Amino acid sequence: MTNFSVLDGSIVGVYLLVTMIAGIMVRKYVGKVEDFLVAGREMNVYLGIASLAATEFGIVTCMYTAQNGFEKGFAGAIPGVLTFLAMYLVGYTGFCVKPLRDSGVMTIPELFEQKFGPRVRWTSGVVIVLGGLLNMGVFLRTGGDFLVSVCGIDPGYHEIRITELSVIGAGVVRIKFGYLEIMMTALLVGVAVYTILGGMLSVLVTDFLQFIVMSLGLIVVTFLILDRVGWSTLVNTVQTNYGEGGFNPLKNASMGWSYVIFNALLNTAAVLTWQTQIARVLAAKDSATGRKVYTGTSFFFVARFLIPGIWGIAALALLTPEQIGGDTLLAMPKMLSIVVPAGLMGLLVASMLAADMSTDSSYMLTWGSVIYNDIMAPFRKVPWSEKKGLFWNRTIIALIGVFLLIYGLWYKLEGDLWTYLGITGSIYLSSMSVLLIACCYWKRANSWGAAAAIVCGAAIPALTLILQKVGPYTEWFTQNGTVCGVATYVIVALAMVVGSLLKPRF
Amino acid sequence: MLNGISNMLTNHWFWGALTIACLAWYSTITIYVAIKGAGDIREMLRKLARGKHSNA
Repeated sequence: MTNFSVLDGSIVGVYLLVTMIAGIMVRKYVGKVEDFLVAGREMNVYLGIASLAATEFGIVTCMYTAQNGFEKGFAGAIPGVLTFLAMYLVGYTGFCVKPLRDSGVMTIPELFEQKFGPRVRWTSGVVIVLGGLLNMGVFLRTGGDFLVSVCGIDPGYHEIRITELSVIGAGVVRIKFGYLEIMMTALLVGVAVYTILGGMLSVLVTDFLQFIVMSLGLIVVTFLILDRVGWSTLVNTVQTNYGEGGFNPLKNASMGWSYVIFNALLNTAAVLTWQTQIARVLAAKDSATGRKVYTGTSFFFVARFLIPGIWGIAALALLTPEQIGGDTLLAMPKMLSIVVPAGLMGLLVASMLAADMSTDSSYMLTWGSVIYNDIMAPFRKVPWSEKKGLFWNRTIIALIGVFLLIYGLWYKLEGDLWTYLGITGSIYLSSMSVLLIACCYWKRANSWGAAAAIVCGAAIPALTLILQKVGPYTEWFTQNGTVCGVATYVIVALAMVVGSLLKPRF
Repeated sequence: MLNGISNMLTNHWFWGALTIACLAWYSTITIYVAIKGAGDIREMLRKLARGKHSNA
């Protein structure tokens, strides 16, 4: 039983309608591929901040950060603090992002071609898309889980029968479906429609609306929780369940130094190369604007982890083990379904839909841009017309949507969500960040080093994922995902250095 | 309200202060970005429309 009422449904409906109309209306401004992929490079600071913040907070973010709060206490918010530091420093100094934006490229692999050659560009594109899409694969199901839990919808499967008449006789076709799958599909189709039509322009405009709705929902619900539960109860709950480890990551049995170091490396690499983040730098008017977007958004990443983390701690304080069930990922939405009153529930669901839609649209567009710009590039012997380019970009986004539906429906997640996202993200983050730093600042870096870094960066996280599922050490690899993560970054950096030094200089 | 803030700053002050900073930052930046961002959108669309006409 939840507090989701007709009023709440109306709020959600109006929000969805306004977003869709806004997203579709700007399609008339798209005339070239550059308009579609990087909004004609006309994005200014405040729109960039709204767009970056909205993109980097989806339902999946809210779920895993709340799970971190539930399972690790306040210490679970430490990745947010590390991201803030990394993004602020990168924005302030312009480390890598300045030369990247000044080069005028549309994607990171395009820059790599200038230093390492076309093969490295193509391979980088493949690695980026592979890591990004695997990472995004869990978004839809997690978002669906949240909405089903909060709205109190029966997730059970239903069967419909369709009487079929044909020349060979009459029969009955049975189709099984659940509300979660229907909601996931409807959400994705809605997002895909405006992303396909308007590209980055639609993404930026809808992100702006979504940022406002999302922020409003997050602030109001957090004040409500602090009022209902109280700070002392939150602190006491963490103290009782996790002791000092709930406040200090270094004293937490499930975290420690390897967790902190892995997250520092992971988040710095994400700030430098994560396609959705770097797309804002590339869409900015100039490198100074891109850097201001980074410094201006940086503190948002603390809120991104801490606010849902507090929701997770509130779930720990308010729910009984029977109410939580076996899945800690669903504790936070179950708590919200009880605590948030009718009327506010509509704002909460609208804000979470806003968060999810902005993330999905941006992810589909930015990974699609790499497929078009870098993976398909060698197959274009003659430059394509703008019309043909736009057609292929739109087709790629539609295909990514289909892939997400299939992978999002069938993949069963092992371990905690943040670690899964970290490992799949590391498939490209480790190698791409090393390549980018070497490309910008190390003259001796060359294609041999780049190739070695890409191979190690993709192989080690993929091997970790496999060893978590099969073989005699599944338990060790599941428990020590962060150690494997740190090892990946170290080995990739060494591979770049050794590979580059081995290549003869003529 | 003041009691609540005082409690957050004395009971595990680091996380309390960070939570207050997040809520304060979020509340103010949302309004500021909402106003300035709308101007950015208008300017961006105007420039794109102008560029489209000049290309045509």
